[in-house]
Amino acid sequence: MGNIFGENMITTELLKNRAGFEEKIRKLIGRPILLIELDLFALPCGCAGITANMRGLEVDDLEVFEPQLIALLKEMAANLDVKPTVSFARLVPGSSIVASLNWRTLCQRCYPEFARGEGKTPRPDLYLLQFERRK
Amino acid sequence: MKLFVPSPGDINSLKELMTAKEKIYSIFMAGSPDYIGTGRSNLASPQLEDIKEQTDFVHKNGVKMELVLNSSCMGGRQLTPEGYRINNWYIEKLVDIGIDSIVVADPYLVETISNNFDVDVVVSVLAFVDSPQKAEFFQDLGASSIVIDSNVNRHFDVLHAIRDSVDCELKLLINEGCLYRCPFRYAHFNFFSHAFGPEPRPNVLDDYYYLKCLELRIEAPEQIIKSPWIRPEDIKLYKDITDVYKIGGRTHFVDWILNCVNAYHNESYDGNLMDLLDCPKDLKDLFYIPNKSLDGILEKQWMNCKKVCNKCGYCRNLTKKVTQVYSNGGTDTEKCMPWETYSVKT
Repeated sequence: MGNIFGENMITTELLKNRAGFEEKIRKLIGRPILLIELDLFALPCGCAGITANMRGLEVDDLEVFEPQLIALLKEMAANLDVKPTVSFARLVPGSSIVASLNWRTLCQRCYPEFARGEGKTPRPDLYLLQFERRK
Repeated sequence: MKLFVPSPGDINSLKELMTAKEKIYSIFMAGSPDYIGTGRSNLASPQLEDIKEQTDFVHKNGVKMELVLNSSCMGGRQLTPEGYRINNWYIEKLVDIGIDSIVVADPYLVETISNNFDVDVVVSVLAFVDSPQKAEFFQDLGASSIVIDSNVNRHFDVLHAIRDSVDCELKLLINEGCLYRCPFRYAHFNFFSHAFGPEPRPNVLDDYYYLKCLELRIEAPEQIIKSPWIRPEDIKLYKDITDVYKIGGRTHFVDWILNCVNAYHNESYDGNLMDLLDCPKDLKDLFYIPNKSLDGILEKQWMNCKKVCNKCGYCRNLTKKVTQVYSNGGTDTEKCMPWETYSVKT
């Protein structure tokens, strides 16, 4: 049930988490990174998760601060009750640009696509931060 | 002052804009991307009947209508017999509708339209007229107005030289926040020209040029300060060059456009400078730069600036002094912090 401003618990939590994540990532990296849009999503295949569209985050930052970034991603996933199978950054291929950070609970159909990939960049536009392989 | 004001391209937006008709000299908007595209993104795709309805509407309100066909790249199609025929057909229709002026970037279109049609031809900012020689060239081709390359908006020697060289109307694009001497400019406008021009259109997921532009500004916000925008308060310093000003922003909400119209009409704005800049709009939720904190700086520094940034540092120091960053944006604890709070100390 929303309040008079159209806010409800989910949107309030999203706003709080957007601001909190942005603040932590700025302090970690030392630049005023902008989290321009934080989305919770569900796809027709069955995948669901979180996308954080970033401005000012660079591939070098991922390489230098990967352990700290993964900890921040896990913290926000827990806050929003998302249990990701995979966490990855989406890049503009060949450039320094990180377009978004993504936490995704993979469906049965999409899991093999990620499981077959190798290395940190299974595709030119993906940088894998974490992948939980099934046993 | 003659203000040229952007319209997103639909009649409802236009009706809202016309609530400020006494402040507006001309509306400008893009046409249909199916014929000649534009160098910017478009929200609407007005067909000829839509353009006629909107042109009639602004004329009834005593305002002129300008159509922007300023594609910076047409892939050579304009030089083919079919391209020539289609472009001529489209421009003939626009002239029949009663369009007052047409903005183009391609010199070939400047010449053919001025030779063949009874309509004012405006040279787009995307023709990059940044010298008296180039201005003379376009005037000789038949231009009745030239939008000067915004890169020289703070080069008063060049602006005066252009003014002294041509008799045609000169226009200044006043609120473009693009990087000074932007390295992406040609590639980005060529990309837009294809993405918002006739088929086939590239299906692009991420606009590299835009994202890279934002990355550079987040790393070094002095790039925002160095951009060649003109503050409403500084318009008075340009009055011996021109009294014709163009506000960019046809992809914005009408409310945003009207805020700019009021600021420039009043020659004063008490708020965030970022509110007025057409691009990059994403950063208005990141930076707060009090417009009034820049009072007097054009006269004191930029009018005589040699643009050798690595030996000067004025804009870098000014940025540290005036730029604030929104912290906890969108929450009850939102506040502005000094930019240095988030910068690595070197």
